[in-house]
Amino acid sequence: MGSGTAEMLINLRLFAPELVLLALLVALFLTDGLMPKSRSGKLPLVLTVLACGLGGWVSVQAASLPSTGFFSGVVASDGLGAFFRCIFFFVCAVALCVAYSSREIEATARSEYAILIVTVTFGMSLMALATNLLVLYLGVETVSIVSFVLAGFGRDSMRSNEASLKYLVYGAASSALMIYGFSLIYGYTGSLFYPEIARQVAAMGQFPLGLSFAVLLAYAGLAFKLAAFPMHFWAPDVYEGAPTPVVTFFSVGPKAAGFAALIRLVIEVFSVRLSDGHWKAIDGSHLVVGLAAVSAITMTIGNLCAVGQTSAKRMLAYSSIAHVGYLLMGLVALDETGLLAILFYLVAYCAMNIGAFWIVGLVRDFRGTDEVEAFRGFGWSHPTVAICMSVFLFSLTGLPVFAGFIGKFLLFRAVWNAPGFLWLAVVGVLNSVVSLYYYSRFLRAMWFDPVVAPERGGSSQPRFPSVIPIPVVAALVALAVPTVVLGLYFEPILRVAKSSLENLLS
Amino acid sequence: MLSWMIFFPLLGMVVVLALPRDRPNLVRWVSVVATSVPLAISIWLYMSFDRGTAAMQFVERLPWISMFNMEYYMGLDGLSLPMVLLTTLLSFLCIFASWGISNAVKGYFAMFLFLEMGMLGVFCSLDFFLFFLFWEVMLLPMYFLIGIWGGKNKVYAAIKFFLYTLFGSVLMLLVLIGFYKYSDPQTFDLVRLAGLKAFSGKMISLFGWELPLDRVFWVGLFIGFAIKVPIWPFHTWLPWAHVEAPTAVSVILAGVLLKMGTYGILRINYPILPEATLWAAEAMALLGVINILYGAFCAMAQKDLKKLVAYSSVSHMGYVLLGMASFTTAGVNGAVLQMFNHGTSTAMLFLLVGVIYERAHHRWIVKPDGSRGFGGIAAVVPVYTAVVAIAVFASLGLPGLSGFISEALVFMGAFSVPRLQAYVIIGSLGIVLGAAYLLWMFMRVFLGPLNEDHRALPDMNWMERLTLAPLCLLVIVLGVYPMPVLDLMTATVARLLTYLA
Repeated sequence: MGSGTAEMLINLRLFAPELVLLALLVALFLTDGLMPKSRSGKLPLVLTVLACGLGGWVSVQAASLPSTGFFSGVVASDGLGAFFRCIFFFVCAVALCVAYSSREIEATARSEYAILIVTVTFGMSLMALATNLLVLYLGVETVSIVSFVLAGFGRDSMRSNEASLKYLVYGAASSALMIYGFSLIYGYTGSLFYPEIARQVAAMGQFPLGLSFAVLLAYAGLAFKLAAFPMHFWAPDVYEGAPTPVVTFFSVGPKAAGFAALIRLVIEVFSVRLSDGHWKAIDGSHLVVGLAAVSAITMTIGNLCAVGQTSAKRMLAYSSIAHVGYLLMGLVALDETGLLAILFYLVAYCAMNIGAFWIVGLVRDFRGTDEVEAFRGFGWSHPTVAICMSVFLFSLTGLPVFAGFIGKFLLFRAVWNAPGFLWLAVVGVLNSVVSLYYYSRFLRAMWFDPVVAPERGGSSQPRFPSVIPIPVVAALVALAVPTVVLGLYFEPILRVAKSSLENLLS
Repeated sequence: MLSWMIFFPLLGMVVVLALPRDRPNLVRWVSVVATSVPLAISIWLYMSFDRGTAAMQFVERLPWISMFNMEYYMGLDGLSLPMVLLTTLLSFLCIFASWGISNAVKGYFAMFLFLEMGMLGVFCSLDFFLFFLFWEVMLLPMYFLIGIWGGKNKVYAAIKFFLYTLFGSVLMLLVLIGFYKYSDPQTFDLVRLAGLKAFSGKMISLFGWELPLDRVFWVGLFIGFAIKVPIWPFHTWLPWAHVEAPTAVSVILAGVLLKMGTYGILRINYPILPEATLWAAEAMALLGVINILYGAFCAMAQKDLKKLVAYSSVSHMGYVLLGMASFTTAGVNGAVLQMFNHGTSTAMLFLLVGVIYERAHHRWIVKPDGSRGFGGIAAVVPVYTAVVAIAVFASLGLPGLSGFISEALVFMGAFSVPRLQAYVIIGSLGIVLGAAYLLWMFMRVFLGPLNEDHRALPDMNWMERLTLAPLCLLVIVLGVYPMPVLDLMTATVARLLTYLA
């Protein structure tokens, strides 16, 4: 009994970051229930930001306790988990800031919004920590179900409702595929625990075709979260319809969580560690070729489809599909450099993509439309924010001296290290040239095109009458500065990422 | 000292951005200061440069990203110093040529100073990664300078320029990664890699083909640099960018940016991939000759003065390529000298086109409707005509002016190589063609009966005269006595040729 209690206590310490989230949820419920809507004001925001800061600190603490599995081994609290938890806490806090600056989220609904976002964050954490297929499934479902609600958060908007329904239909289908895949994996190996599955699979010698099929089905579920080929079709419609702050969150948070889960599955389950520091996918699984093909197709589809878009949100939706393609290159390498590249790129991607979507949302609030054309003249009326937007866009393109460039540099380098995949690096660089073409449409509208003269009579477009509040500008600058700094001096983040991979590497 | 020179314009940019919007003159004078300091430093560097050695001088070296052995590694040799001098001089003069910019003055000068930092950084970097950062970072101000302050088709010109150069850059990025991957120990240090032949004799498989590694690297880099030069068939962005860019930006584009392409080939391809360079010699000579003739023919067909000058740049950069391909002392020295001389003469031409455009608000030699654009204006603007005459004669290679010496060296060098003789003979037609299109232009614009539309054309004012005076002086002095520049590079070129021996 004594030892059981002690173990429980350690387990709880390892689980402390999630407990912080749960405590935050309770606090948010209480403020929402006890205080009148008109009085709660910024309290949910303050609570969430503080709790996320605390959660980040606790995550780092938990990482220093060595544990690859707790709660009977269904979740792992290792460096990788801590790294992703920190990303999630950051995204969660910023997502709420975005919501507070937006007119699309009504002031009275903000605390509900906070509750939903925090719940998703909890689900993302589970996804990143899971070392058991069932827990992974629970994590994915927690994220999905709450996301359906978030997508429909604009209750009075037809498009938001449509987005929610589309998301729900796709989500239900993909999670059915995924759970079917998991059940097949269980059938083949007799276990849901990653280490046990890995042992069984390695012992099989030859990878059975049926198991390949099962892996494919399981991938479908994760690909839905990542918005990777072939489960990417929902993203443009949902991103276009859902409120912009929600999309800002969708485009980074669940994607990062999906990558965490994918990394664990690929590395811990379906690869064996070689003595030279690389991993090798299990023979006959065609895992690496499959990932390479998905990566190439995803980035190409994303970029080519983005070229034709006129809606800013739709364009960035396709761009975020393309970025998943880039990120998958890191997994193709199946070695430390690849994982480092993914972790670095995710950090950079969080900053730049949140920034870009945030500004799209601000412009939409002023202009009432999400067309790229709505950015006309924005550079001259709001230079600081427009410069931030330019920084985010250049970084998304992958131009030096921005963080996105370093991310791509690391990814291309990693994929070249995998023998025979130089072609993927070539596809990748050509894709970034294509991406410049559509990102530059924002730059063109912001800086080059003359401001449209207000039409005479009825429907005149306001010329950005609103002033963007100083805290919002400050927050955007705070996202833009690291985007530049990480492009010039990226060693510290790489060191952190490297140390977070220690458990996987040992 | 080098860092001061490179980053002083950045400091200037920060100051410019901090200035109030309603004080445009203050912005202009701050920019003058911000560009004059690098000019002064580069003159000091010129004075104290040791001409006897090919080693890197004024070296600054700091660890930067130790995980990848990246360094902050700056230095100058005989190849980069002439380019640095050209950059600081033209940047300084271009501030005066930009005096008339009245729209978003702060932004313009901030971008301009940022551009100068990028250019100086490219010429001074000795770490490939650092080089690449500066190379790319230059694109941003250039894109905005063309896109915001450009002419009618500025948006198209800006994105075309950006996409073309980015395409070249990503190929360079892959080679950059490859250099690191295949060098042993892994490094981006351009000086250490020089002469090592670290990539010879290896194979690489790409899309199912087995290819020699060093040739793949060579071609990747060459395309990246060729787009910048621009070498046919990668030149189509150039006329657009030149025509739409404001005068000062055209000057920088033609005077400095084009040289970066050939500079890069000489700095990276030649010493690091010598065997592939020898393999590609004839292709380079052929492309050089195509550039000379194609550029010249295109220039002849132009009705727009600025386009004519733009195409003449294509033609003149062909001489550089031909000289480089000869691998002889005379040829390569001539090529580097031609880079410098073309920088000064084409800068003059673009500045002069800017002068007339500001007055006449058009630059047609022949208007689209077939009538004369100018004609006989020598009688109205004698000083302007004289300066144009100097620039034109320098550009077409009249003995006694700078262009002659470098072109002569190029042809001498290339002709001494038996297998290039045919190229030289065809290429020398370019001199005749050059004389033809330039003199024909001169005739149609300045001579003949006066076009009455331009009877009231004012002559050059004092600021324009002062801007052009230093360039005039350089063109004449270097035409008579080229040693001040040639001296700088002989030791470096000699060592460059030992890599190729």
